Amino acid sequence: MIEATPAARRLAKWFLFALALVWLVPLAIMLSVAFTPPHIRISRFGGLMMKDVSIDNFAIVFNDAPILVHLLNSLVITCTSVLFVVLFGAMAAYAFARLRIPGKNVWFFLLITTLMLPVPTLIVPLFMINKTLGLLDSYLGLILPYTALGLPFAIIILRSFFEALPIELEETARIDGVSPARIFWFIALPLSWPALTVVVIFQFMVSFNEFVLALVTIDTDVRKPLSLVPLIYSGQFFTQPGAMFATLTLITVPVIVVYLAMQKFMVGGLTSGAVKG
Amino acid sequence: MTENRDWRGFAFLAPALALFGVFVFYPAFYIFYAALFQWDGVNDAAYIGLENFLTIFNDDKAFWLSMRNAAYWAPLTIIPQMILGFLIAFLLELRVPFVNIFRAVFYVPAIVSPVVVGIVWQRIYNPFGGFLSDVGQASGFKWLIYPYLADTDTAIFAVILVNVWQWMGFSMLMYIAGMKGISRDILEAARLDGISLRQIAIHLAWPMLRHVHLTLVLLGVIGTLQTFPLIYIMTKGGPNHATEMLPNYIFQQGFILQNMGYASALSVVLLLLSLSLSIFQVKVLGARFSFGGKS
Repeated sequence: MIEATPAARRLAKWFLFALALVWLVPLAIMLSVAFTPPHIRISRFGGLMMKDVSIDNFAIVFNDAPILVHLLNSLVITCTSVLFVVLFGAMAAYAFARLRIPGKNVWFFLLITTLMLPVPTLIVPLFMINKTLGLLDSYLGLILPYTALGLPFAIIILRSFFEALPIELEETARIDGVSPARIFWFIALPLSWPALTVVVIFQFMVSFNEFVLALVTIDTDVRKPLSLVPLIYSGQFFTQPGAMFATLTLITVPVIVVYLAMQKFMVGGLTSGAVKG
Repeated sequence: MTENRDWRGFAFLAPALALFGVFVFYPAFYIFYAALFQWDGVNDAAYIGLENFLTIFNDDKAFWLSMRNAAYWAPLTIIPQMILGFLIAFLLELRVPFVNIFRAVFYVPAIVSPVVVGIVWQRIYNPFGGFLSDVGQASGFKWLIYPYLADTDTAIFAVILVNVWQWMGFSMLMYIAGMKGISRDILEAARLDGISLRQIAIHLAWPMLRHVHLTLVLLGVIGTLQTFPLIYIMTKGGPNHATEMLPNYIFQQGFILQNMGYASALSVVLLLLSLSLSIFQVKVLGARFSFGGKS
């Protein structure tokens, strides 16, 4: 906190308040259109001005579109990739931080380089690989690439965290003859939960919202994750903006709830997981 | 350390490296090979050497428009996001009320799916009963009533504005984390010396957050080259390629027009562009991935 005069603080408060109102407009429009009764056609201010509230649009969506199936698809894909990223990422990060591996720096450099690789450069080959491996139109066709693409970030965050852990505990265990695998699993991994939280949140958000790979990989509508749902129903709901925006609301609410629940973690975790130069 | 231990170390790395090899390294090399062919992805490919690249650089208007748009996109998203993000992070340090609520309001757009964001903003820009046009009607600012997304001169800026709205909160969060690393003693001392808040912000906090600025520039440039869903949903790169960005163009060429070879050549250009820009920033500017805190 920085000391400020009451006048300065009041000015700051009102500025933030005004800006926050502007920032909320799109989300407010999404909600108000979703909660406008379906029969009301004329909307003012993009639908921001409501005369009546109803949840009929949500009934239409649940009737016409298997939203929960799509949510389940998203959760299966996302959670599996989060699990893989945490497990494989932590193992690799531990090896980079603590174990002796020939050519360690080369491996690490290669990982870092790919952190800067835009996903769209890989859609053509990933499509072909999935086709060859028979993974097109399957969850695994997304889970495996998401995991691979999420690993560099996870490894960088976790490696710096493992390096910062006091080594004495692990040394003692090692002298007592405990294997590296058990040291990793029972000592290092449980201690690294602040960094793991950052990795979990990051990987969850990225996989949950990923779009381009899902677009080219999953063909069958019922297997599509939530991020593709607006595209599936944009034709069907073309004349029903209320139903469309109810769908958008249903997609958005889970992410916001997860974020609000983890907000405290997030800033704290970001700071404690800082990468040292 | 014994040989045995080296082997065990690799066992730790094996799953990560295996996944990486198949789904990142192999694809990255594959596009260099596929770029040399005229190929629809189904039938036999015809070897045409560097023909695809010659076409891209000499005859492809859409490609050069995507380059122009990236040149607009990077500074016009990064700079406003940094200035606003820093300003908000600084103001939140002034003991204002509702800090958590403000933080959430500004950050939430960043976690919303770009697909959702794109559809909602289409409605905002809609010249017939959209939010902006009705605000224009009500306030008398008639210039707000305009089909911004349909005009080739304005469309790209309209999309950039949406991107700024969506990602500004991320910059703010990085600055908040960075501010926590600035010593309270220095700020206190500056206040006691009677230095104004404006001076503290500009001459003390801003320079001390250099590592955050560099991280945001690096992430912003990478983000520019990754932009896909927002473009795909809002304009599909149109009208007439006015909002074309390379990822969307790769998708259109590869998966809509079935030119897999040409799409691979475009991917090679994007890959080399992003790697060289990143390496330039890391080596020359000294940017690195730091996630707040002291670096």
